[in-house]
Amino acid sequence: MLFFRKYHNKKKQQSSFHIQNNDLSEKLISSQLLENIAEIQNIFSETPDLVVKNIVIKQTKCPAALVYLSGLTDTKTINNHVLNPLLFEVEKEQKDFDAQVSLGDVKENNTWQKIESAILAGNSVLFIDKRNKAFIFNTQGWPQRGIEDTTIESSLRGEHLGFTETGSTNIALIRRHIQNRELKMKEITVGARGNLKLTIMYLADVAKPEVLKELVDRLNKIDVDSILNAASLAEYIEDNPYSPFPQLFITERPDFAAAEILQGRIVTVVDRSPNVLIGPATFEIFFKSMDDYGARWLVASFIRLMRYFGFFVAIFLPATYIAVIAFHFEIIPLKLLLSIGASRERVPFPPFIEAIVMEITLEMLREAGIRLPAKIGQTVGIVGGIVIGQAAVEAGIVSNIMVIVVALTAIASFIIPNYDMGAAIRMLRFPMMIVASFFGFVGLTVGLMTLIAHFISLQSLGTPYGSPIAPLRFPDWKDLFIRFPEWSILKRPESTRAIQTLKAKSNRSEGDEH
Amino acid sequence: MIKYAKNQITFMQYIFLIHGVQVGVGLLTLPRELAEKAGTDGWIALILGWLFSTLGSLIIIQVMKKYPNGTIIDLLTHFFGKWVGKIAAFIFVLYFAFLGSIVFVREGLFIQFWVLPQTNLFILLLLLSIPSYLIVRNNITILGRYAELVFFMTTWVLFFYSTPLKEAHWLHLLPFIKGGWEPILAAAKTTTFSFLGFEIAFFLYPFLQKKQKASIGIVIANILTLAVFLIVTIVAFTFYSPDEITQYKEPTINLLKIVEFRFLERLEIVFLSLYIFVISTTVLPLFFSTVLSASQLFGKQDHSKYVVWLLLLNLVYVLLLPQSLGGNRQLQKEIESISLILVYVFPICLWVYLWLYTCLKRRVLK
Repeated sequence: MLFFRKYHNKKKQQSSFHIQNNDLSEKLISSQLLENIAEIQNIFSETPDLVVKNIVIKQTKCPAALVYLSGLTDTKTINNHVLNPLLFEVEKEQKDFDAQVSLGDVKENNTWQKIESAILAGNSVLFIDKRNKAFIFNTQGWPQRGIEDTTIESSLRGEHLGFTETGSTNIALIRRHIQNRELKMKEITVGARGNLKLTIMYLADVAKPEVLKELVDRLNKIDVDSILNAASLAEYIEDNPYSPFPQLFITERPDFAAAEILQGRIVTVVDRSPNVLIGPATFEIFFKSMDDYGARWLVASFIRLMRYFGFFVAIFLPATYIAVIAFHFEIIPLKLLLSIGASRERVPFPPFIEAIVMEITLEMLREAGIRLPAKIGQTVGIVGGIVIGQAAVEAGIVSNIMVIVVALTAIASFIIPNYDMGAAIRMLRFPMMIVASFFGFVGLTVGLMTLIAHFISLQSLGTPYGSPIAPLRFPDWKDLFIRFPEWSILKRPESTRAIQTLKAKSNRSEGDEH
Repeated sequence: MIKYAKNQITFMQYIFLIHGVQVGVGLLTLPRELAEKAGTDGWIALILGWLFSTLGSLIIIQVMKKYPNGTIIDLLTHFFGKWVGKIAAFIFVLYFAFLGSIVFVREGLFIQFWVLPQTNLFILLLLLSIPSYLIVRNNITILGRYAELVFFMTTWVLFFYSTPLKEAHWLHLLPFIKGGWEPILAAAKTTTFSFLGFEIAFFLYPFLQKKQKASIGIVIANILTLAVFLIVTIVAFTFYSPDEITQYKEPTINLLKIVEFRFLERLEIVFLSLYIFVISTTVLPLFFSTVLSASQLFGKQDHSKYVVWLLLLNLVYVLLLPQSLGGNRQLQKEIESISLILVYVFPICLWVYLWLYTCLKRRVLK
């Protein structure tokens, strides 16, 4: 691992992807309009979507040029609020033209670097003759889709608005839930070519400063071309890159993100990605869903317990089947053993081969279903159903019991509300099957022990991942396996290391006043 | 010293670490060994053994209180100089390494004997080394979490011992002290060894968050251990007849053979697999103490390198010398006499010395 890091560092020093054709870092704009236009065309050579509109400002009779990228700007805003007033309006009391441009966000700048990035971000820039300053108008307006219902993490009672690809919209969606001035944000730009804007959102009087600093430090250390989505950003900053478990929670639900901010966690909104990152994540939040808080607490607790049960079933059921059939068939009572034996009678393979064939078939079917158009997807389902189900058994390739085991495993892994955790669990069952096929129950135990060893030493942003199970924190168990009624949870979980622990006062009147 | 302040263990983790070290492979054979020596009065010997171990534990804590921010090695270095500290570190490395290795090999032998008779011992230990390495290379906090988690994962097995109780013959226990005190005292020697493991407090003390609770914690750990031993022993004594029990090698496992469900028979196989966890809470803290003393011996902060060496040494040892349960037991008998010195004689002498030392110092200062 150390070697790999050294190698990685070395490589980083050698590569020089930042250096572009001409360095603009120190260059200032000139006061000659024509020179500026020439420079612009030099910078944006071979850029057909660049618009340079030469105008004469009516107020001051000055020649000027408005520059923008046509796809990234909102044409209506430019026409109505910039070009129209500049070209046609005259106000007698006003000497300059500032008041005419009816836009809220106008900035002045004189460095080419800033101007370049402003144009690339979808702003329009106005150069005026005899002035060594350019005006940057916020006229951003790129193609985007509207806010839709969440697709991966759908819920019954939760909010039906999902994050979109625009960072500012996502921030607004979260802010609507937390209308508090303590909701602070930090902006960080990542990626030399991508200029990805990250917004870290947190409650300043709740989130732990050390955790925040850790996150900001890690984000600042990233030095890449570009990052295209939230999940790959998570890979850059997570604590243990070799772990099978996701260490940051990736969600497309604004209500979940807001809920976690209120718990004291920190949310990173990634511009251009319909997901946000939540950290520090603990193991248990991957087993929570917004619906747990939308259902009555008894029902929610029942579902939670099923999820944890599903976790163990999905990891250990096929492995246990292999261990029992191959090593410890004496633990099965005679009657059950006979029926299993009858079902396995025609199967020519050892249980490991039988299991692995079926499990891999199932995984392929699942993966095929995801990326196919919905209409073909149904066909895959039908074909898969026949293959996994009756035909394989009738052909004598697998036993009926194995089909049940595979089906149970699949259902158990799909019950996990978080996709990443579900995927991790589905992966983990393969090493378990291998050790079980070599060492039976002992292999399973050692597998579990290794899993526990990893689980208890894993961290997320320097916070123990296994909390509140290991380290044991009983007060946090109110929202773990059993979700206690909302009014009884008065404290924020210790697992988030929130500095302000109390989040509610006792809302139930005591005694029998009513 | 600051280096211990960073990685701390909570009060609960402290209790379960000590308890975990105490309850290990010994539990499997304990009822038979007691029955061989003292018949069905063996359980009285357990209480005697518990008394001794509690006294010993308290003395260890009293000694450690004299230098609360370091392990026993730091303490010896502080009072007697660098070389005494080095020698002590060396002795502790050897002691814990041997003790840990014996239990580690025994773990493998038990698995081989009960579950996988055809698998090579070397392979089994190699398999067990993987999680051991992953846990011991970390700091004490992780070890504490592990002990805590395993305690709650495995304690429920004790409930299965209520099944044999349905057919218990309580008359087996009567009359009390039938053969006089002599056999009981002989058995008390065995039980004293069963309670060994609290010497880990020498190394846990500086990591404990609330040091004023160290004495209570170690007493609770001893009580927990006594409870586990008593439950298993009494169930075994009442279920088997006094003569029958000596015929089983590991009556603790045999007891579970009678537990049956509609869907599960031969529960002892499942239990034995779970028992690997219980044994690991003995082995891992011992290994941790070994590598911690080793890192102090060589003056290094990082101990994770030594874990690999320790595990490799174990594997080579198993590969070169043929192992058997009897031979392993013999080795343990031999190290037990050293334990007695290190756990009872050494702390008492040290305690008396430190007590005199502080008294004299105070007088001189006056």
